[in-house]
Amino acid sequence: MKFGKTIAVMGLLLACGGVRAAAPSEAQVANAEEVVNKVRAAARFLHDKGASGYSEFNNKDGKWVWKDSYVFVYDCRKDRMIAHPMRPDLVGKPIMQVTDNSGKYIFRELCKAGNEARGGWVEYSWPKPGAGRLSRKISYALAADISFAAGIQVSAGIYDEGITLPELSQFLERMSDPAKYQAL
Amino acid sequence: MAEQKLGNPAVVGLAGFGLTTMVLQFHNVGWIGLGPVVWLGLIFGGLAQMIAGLQEMKTGNNFGYCAFTGYGCFWIALTLLLLGNHYNIYTSSKTDVGWFLISWTLFTVILWIGAMRVSSALALTFTLLLIGFILLDLAHFGYPDLTVVAGYELMVTAAMAWYIMAHIIYADLFGRDILPVGKPWIS
Repeated sequence: MKFGKTIAVMGLLLACGGVRAAAPSEAQVANAEEVVNKVRAAARFLHDKGASGYSEFNNKDGKWVWKDSYVFVYDCRKDRMIAHPMRPDLVGKPIMQVTDNSGKYIFRELCKAGNEARGGWVEYSWPKPGAGRLSRKISYALAADISFAAGIQVSAGIYDEGITLPELSQFLERMSDPAKYQAL
Repeated sequence: MAEQKLGNPAVVGLAGFGLTTMVLQFHNVGWIGLGPVVWLGLIFGGLAQMIAGLQEMKTGNNFGYCAFTGYGCFWIALTLLLLGNHYNIYTSSKTDVGWFLISWTLFTVILWIGAMRVSSALALTFTLLLIGFILLDLAHFGYPDLTVVAGYELMVTAAMAWYIMAHIIYADLFGRDILPVGKPWIS
């Protein structure tokens, strides 16, 4: 009996250890709430700072990169990537012709979603930082209001195989309602 | 003893006003970045136009004195505002810039009425300038796409300023008025 208890306690400890071991990797995965908050903060930052703020989004060690996600900035009207912390090769290049492996024109969809009053979500395939392979990415796009410019948007995404666009849209609606967001 | 011929400071004022306004619109419609706007704004639209405005005092032209000195200061202030944002010195948000532009819109209303007493070309220039300022105001308060509309509209304003500049220079060089500016709208 005493031996059985010891085994049970050891099993519990091992299980707890397993959970604790899994926790850091989960802590490195950005969630939808973080993405929406970061993108909104980025839009506010550019509203306050103007075009001078673009360069901060090219810094992969800066505050706009966190966990497995990052904010990127692009110009829908001029068809240009303005800032991207993970892909400096894309900065200054045209974006509207960029497709994922299913042929979806990623930035045409992002620009359309970002023009909605509260912004919007777009699903596509994109390399996850550090993973070295394509993953399902769902990005939240939002227009950024900047002096002497039009068509600037900011976006960031989550890498998630299960969550659906309707679920994310409902979540965005709740986050846009201060009364409901408090209850989350 | 013959009286020494003096130049008209307005040609420099109109040149700086027109060129810097034109370059800002090249940015607003998306053709260029902010670099040329900042440096030309400081030197030609700002310093040169402001000096031209201060020289208008000696000619007794209060309209030119106020307009060129005022818009020269506008350009210096705008470029310093952009530099301030870059270096985190008294940063200005889009809303702040919007109110900055509204104050210049009000200033322009006063000169717009005065311009109607000078010539048709100047009245048209100030009408276009006022419309451009209003479009930029709206672009800063809820209608960002109007930035591009203002861009094209203000290019015409800049061209009108250059037309008046050319009118003065050519009248001097050719000895006759080959680019008429028309009668005042209010006589």
